[in-house]
Amino acid sequence: MRAFSRSLPSLRRLFATLALGLAAANASAELVVVVSSRSQVAAINADQVAAIFLGHASRFPDGTQAVAVDQQLGAPQRDSFYRELTGKTPALLKAHWSKMVFTGRGQPPREASGDAGVRRLVAGNPAMIGYIERDALDASVRAVLVLP
Amino acid sequence: MVQQHTRRLSAAFATCALAFLSSHASGAEAPGEPAAPTSVLKLSGFGTLGAVYSDSRSADFTASVLRADGAGHTRAWSPDVDSRLGVQLDLDLGAWSGVLQVISEQRLDGSYAPRLEWANVKYQLTPDLAVRAGRIALPVFLGAESRKVGYTIPWVRTPVEVYDSLPISSSDGLDATWRWGTGSVLHATQVFAGRTNQDLRNGLRIKAEDIVGLSHSIERGAVSARLSAASGRLNTAIGEELFTVLRGFGPAGDALADRYEIRNKRVSMVSIGMSIDPGAWFVTAECGRTRTDSLLGGGTSMYVGAGLRRGALTPYAGYAQVRADVPTRDPGLPLEGLPPPLAAAAGQINAGLNGFLAAIPVQSTWSAGLRWDAATNIALKLQLDRVRPRDGSRGTLINNQPGLRPDRAVHVGSVAMDFVF
Repeated sequence: MRAFSRSLPSLRRLFATLALGLAAANASAELVVVVSSRSQVAAINADQVAAIFLGHASRFPDGTQAVAVDQQLGAPQRDSFYRELTGKTPALLKAHWSKMVFTGRGQPPREASGDAGVRRLVAGNPAMIGYIERDALDASVRAVLVLP
Repeated sequence: MVQQHTRRLSAAFATCALAFLSSHASGAEAPGEPAAPTSVLKLSGFGTLGAVYSDSRSADFTASVLRADGAGHTRAWSPDVDSRLGVQLDLDLGAWSGVLQVISEQRLDGSYAPRLEWANVKYQLTPDLAVRAGRIALPVFLGAESRKVGYTIPWVRTPVEVYDSLPISSSDGLDATWRWGTGSVLHATQVFAGRTNQDLRNGLRIKAEDIVGLSHSIERGAVSARLSAASGRLNTAIGEELFTVLRGFGPAGDALADRYEIRNKRVSMVSIGMSIDPGAWFVTAECGRTRTDSLLGGGTSMYVGAGLRRGALTPYAGYAQVRADVPTRDPGLPLEGLPPPLAAAAGQINAGLNGFLAAIPVQSTWSAGLRWDAATNIALKLQLDRVRPRDGSRGTLINNQPGLRPDRAVHVGSVAMDFVF
């Protein structure tokens, strides 16, 4: 029984990798939402990711704390991430965070430089969640959502 | 004088406290956690540079009744309607954080004397529960707290019919916000309690005690909604001379003074608003009801606004209205049986009372405009409004002259540049 439950996460990872592989056949520079490979977070949907990145939620679906990591302002990953997930342009996103900041409700996510920077930060902290290009995936992080 | 001094002192104290906390912040980081690259102290700000034209020469159009003047009577083009500058200092120590926000905009004495809009300390008890102590802007309507940040709204200014209807806008006290979720629906429930004592800078103050309220926000994808309710006990000396004279006219005068005087009068408001914004277009609608059993009256207000986003351009249109839920005229003191000199005096008093009641707004406005997001932190806007006070009310116009024809539309044109930094 214990062996079975221990093998579950690796099965889940296998399925995720398969799903990613299938999705990758259709596009080149896809974005994947990643958490640390040490994170227990299993599945998360697009709405839940959007809520964390827009400062509306601070927990993963399993109840553990979630901290978003953004790509830098002007990065193409950042623009397409928010466009796909929230329909927001960089200007709308700026308006959203201005509203949050100037009402004392929160500050925008911290930024990391490039896919490697995001991956390094996320890998080191199971609470963190970021997004990188699919090609930049490695064993230190785990994809929890693929953006179409 | 003394109060001014106290205010300056408290601002100095707040600055010292922030400086002290920030000097200790470097030691507050937990071991094992990666160092936060974001700074502990953050300075940011926002502002609007605007110019407004009004075609009426018999009253001023403004964004708020708490202004000295506006466009129309005082000058055809006014920079004072929308222009403002806000500066904010944020302190982030993890679970503890603090915010200080100062806004400079035209006030009732015509000055741009800065006012402390936000000044509070927040403690994040859990990722979902936060409590704050200090000054907050009242979380009413969809975005009363951020109405002064022009960059965050599509239009040049929040509809005056709706957002101008509340006599108080901030609370000094405590509030708690709890975030929770049900499936894909996110909720934020906020409760607050406090008081406020604001210098109107025309020799009067407006005080509210026992402020309590609740605000509940819902987010689900592109849909957001907010329900809020607030109440407080209001005190201000507006119209005091009139009431003193009224009380000289026996029981009838006493009854009128008791009815209209703003002494320990409960002010209450409820509002509900909803916005759908998938990105390419948006629709926003709100309605609210304010009540005071006083000179300030009470009314029901609503607006609907919508726009399309085409690249950096956002054309939009909207309609707003407010109607009074109380009579905006009063027969006043009975003149029958009074000796002629007294009757003349009573007549003048009645006119004075009705002058105040005409300020209870009954008005509607059609608006159309264009927002251009010229850069990621600059928006340029052009807006046309057709403002129509109704039922003998002067609407939200100020400095009305004898020539102001009731029920006649005023046309307003605005240009504005909003920025955040």
